[in-house]
Amino acid sequence: MTADTFLFWFLAFAIIAGALGVVLMTNPIHSALGLVLTMVSVAAIFVTLQAYFLAGVQLIVYAGAVMVLFVMVLMLFDLKNEIQAFSRGRIRGALKIGSVGILSGLIVGAFAKALIANQALGAKGSLASTASTAVGAIKPLAENLFFNHVFSFELLGVLLLVIAVGTVALSRSKGGTHDRN
Amino acid sequence: MIETNIFTEITANHYLILSAVLFSIGMAGVLVRRNIIVLFMSIELMLNAVNISFVTFSHYFGKVDGQVMVFFVMTIAAAEAAVGLALAVAIFKRFKEVNIRFFEHLKG
Amino acid sequence: MSHQVLIAILLLSPLVGFIINGIRFRSANYLLAGSIATGAVAVSFACAVMLFVELLGLPAEQRRLTVSFFEWIAIGNFKVNAGFVVDQISSIMILIITGVGALIHLFSIGYMHHDKGVTKYFSYLNFFLFNMLILVLGDSLLTMFVGWEGVGLCSYLLIGFWFSDSAKAAAGMKAFITNRIGDAAFLIGIFILFTTFGTVNLHELNALAPAALEAGWLGTVGLATLMLFIGATGKSAQIPLYVWLPDAMAGPTPVSALIHAATMVTAGVYMIVRLNPLFVMAPNTMMVVAIVGAATALLAATIGLTQTDIKKVLAYSTVSQLGYMFLAVGVGAFGAGMFHLMTHAFFKALMFLGAGSVIHAVHEEQDIQKMGGLKKYLPITHLTFVLGWLAIIGMPPFAGFFSKDEILWQAYSSPRGHMLLWAAGVIGAMLTAFYMTRLLALTFWGKSRVDKKIHPHESPFVMTIPLMVLGLLSVVGGWVGIPHVIGEFLGHVPNYWESWLAPLITKLPSATMTAHSATEEWILMGSSVTLAAISAVAAYIIYVKKEGVAAKIAQAAGPVYKAVDNKYFVDEAYFAGIINPLLQASYNLWQYVDVNVVDKATYKITEIVRGGGFIVRSLQNGNMQQYAMYVVIGVVVALSYMLVG
Repeated sequence: MTADTFLFWFLAFAIIAGALGVVLMTNPIHSALGLVLTMVSVAAIFVTLQAYFLAGVQLIVYAGAVMVLFVMVLMLFDLKNEIQAFSRGRIRGALKIGSVGILSGLIVGAFAKALIANQALGAKGSLASTASTAVGAIKPLAENLFFNHVFSFELLGVLLLVIAVGTVALSRSKGGTHDRN
Repeated sequence: MIETNIFTEITANHYLILSAVLFSIGMAGVLVRRNIIVLFMSIELMLNAVNISFVTFSHYFGKVDGQVMVFFVMTIAAAEAAVGLALAVAIFKRFKEVNIRFFEHLKG
Repeated sequence: MSHQVLIAILLLSPLVGFIINGIRFRSANYLLAGSIATGAVAVSFACAVMLFVELLGLPAEQRRLTVSFFEWIAIGNFKVNAGFVVDQISSIMILIITGVGALIHLFSIGYMHHDKGVTKYFSYLNFFLFNMLILVLGDSLLTMFVGWEGVGLCSYLLIGFWFSDSAKAAAGMKAFITNRIGDAAFLIGIFILFTTFGTVNLHELNALAPAALEAGWLGTVGLATLMLFIGATGKSAQIPLYVWLPDAMAGPTPVSALIHAATMVTAGVYMIVRLNPLFVMAPNTMMVVAIVGAATALLAATIGLTQTDIKKVLAYSTVSQLGYMFLAVGVGAFGAGMFHLMTHAFFKALMFLGAGSVIHAVHEEQDIQKMGGLKKYLPITHLTFVLGWLAIIGMPPFAGFFSKDEILWQAYSSPRGHMLLWAAGVIGAMLTAFYMTRLLALTFWGKSRVDKKIHPHESPFVMTIPLMVLGLLSVVGGWVGIPHVIGEFLGHVPNYWESWLAPLITKLPSATMTAHSATEEWILMGSSVTLAAISAVAAYIIYVKKEGVAAKIAQAAGPVYKAVDNKYFVDEAYFAGIINPLLQASYNLWQYVDVNVVDKATYKITEIVRGGGFIVRSLQNGNMQQYAMYVVIGVVVALSYMLVG
């Protein structure tokens, strides 16, 4: 088999394993580690899809910042094993898993239906592409972002600012200019 | 039907099915787990699944718009995780519990 | 002034009086209220006189003044106008109603002067007059029915005028409810007539009546007229619905004079006279009418022998005299029936007002066993009362003689009359003479049994002037209808009454009056007058000359006397046979149907809704993950719909 094939199956296995780990582990720290595995594997998937910039951003933001935050908060809570990790009720649980299963089946079916008509998307990388003209290269991405979606981009900046301020406000217990004490 | 061997020829379908499965696992986690933090992590799983899907389409259609979307999704996901965790910390400080079975105040 | 305007003023004047007095109903200013009310009726009387004069000027076939104010009902082809007609019959009626009504209003000013509700009383009286005029002037059965119901309402209001006394209020309700039973039959009669003839206009009905014979509708016409007659028994107090009239004496005495002597109770007679072509087509109904009239005359006269309340005696006398009127119309003597209606209005109103004067003088005492010897204290009242007494017992030349005699003659000689009906009438006349003489004897003559603390005094002019006017009318009122045999005797004096009404009265088929000779009429006339005179003298002897005889006779009669004294237990029979079973049935319906079935069904529905709400509520248990599950299920449904459909 080719390198692409092997990579894909290996990374797919890693992603699924990590995801199952998130959902099935009772210790939340174990769930966090599973999530890290998933994040890194997703970054690798991005590389196989030739979205190099996004792979980097995935590692930096998700695996580097968000996961650190998660683990830090978990450390703050200092929980050992959950008293009740999973929701009660077998019928309810079965209903939930069942509905999710149906949902995934439907999504796959939707994709299949759409792609049958579009057979041009058969083989991977069937479009001629080099590293510089590859779709995932930075230059076309930046051009698209800054030329077509600059407003949304700036808005994102504002959003981040708001988030930062909000987070600080949420976590205050005492102090600040409007403290009544 | 496409006349290729499913296991040797990687097509867009494979990535999309991966994305769907990841999404379902994330959703199952949202529905089933009781710890708030693990809930957030399952939500992150769902967002990652969607990211995979976007990038797949971007690659296979040859347009870069899918990746721009992923860019935005990632940003917002990070911001939302920050806020959500700040809330979780506030809840923990107030109630000393993060198990949502104690928070059924919406009952009625 | 055109007759339309006259009719409008005639009708609206009492209505205006009603409104003006109604607005001021809390005022106790009897002079103002009484003047407004009496003035309104006087205006109506003036209009009635003018309309009558106008009719006199017209030739006999054209004596019909009509007016239509607005279109009242218009459904498809069925149209009923608010129309009124003044012809020979209704012109007499409005003269009686407004004339006697005005006198009674005048009397009321004196009688009710110390009552706090005097303005309300006068407004009710005016409203009653308004409705009565609508009744007699209406040109269709529906308009007549509006007035019919309106006078019933006013009767209820006025009988129960002193409503704080529950017995008096109950008397009002009894009157109204008994009336209503008759009204139900009246309505059925209207319905039958409408389906048969297609119209409710009186003129058209009378014109179509002869066609019923060829069309073979005699059965339905008979049924319809029978229903109408049952309505008349309610309004005019005949068997079986007369029980309200004696109780109606709970109201003020002028009310009894106006409503229960002169006007409202005559509405039934008026209705039959109005529709006489229809009734002529229904001989069976007429037979029923005559028999019921004669029976009522007798029954009420016997009860009147034992009553001790002055107003109750007069009430039973009214029922009895109404029986005479129905006897007359039942044998086809419609003119005679109306004649007696008019003369009865005069002398009965006179006697009721006289009774009012007496009651006023002895400070509201109504028991004649506590009266006596009032002749010297109440001269004018006594004199006028004597005139009324002579009229009612049928002494010539007073008014009652002519009308009652005409009825008795027609009962004997009419093709639909019978010897037995005449005999019943004569016996009734004897009884009438007896109890009326008894009434006078116990009230005015003999020794005084009045409570020593009361000093009776004559009534003021406001009250005695109406008495005098009515007394005069009781004397001369009958002279417009002198029968032919006497008229020939006196020198070609015509019977104005008969010729006036003739164009509207339908002759009975195969009416051959020539089969009876004048000699027969003289003999019958003479015998009835003589028998009445003998009864009067007998009563005088028993009650004035020989004390204690009456009591001995009562004891000797034993159970018969007891039955008569208790009014033959008719009221008790009605309660036991009809009213109490109805009440029991409705109680049972309440208990077993309403509470058990209807209420329980309603509760079941609320329980179902509650249960449903309970089920739906469990969907919102605060478990956020369940809410998320619902979202997923929704998405699944939507996606599958999009994929499949």
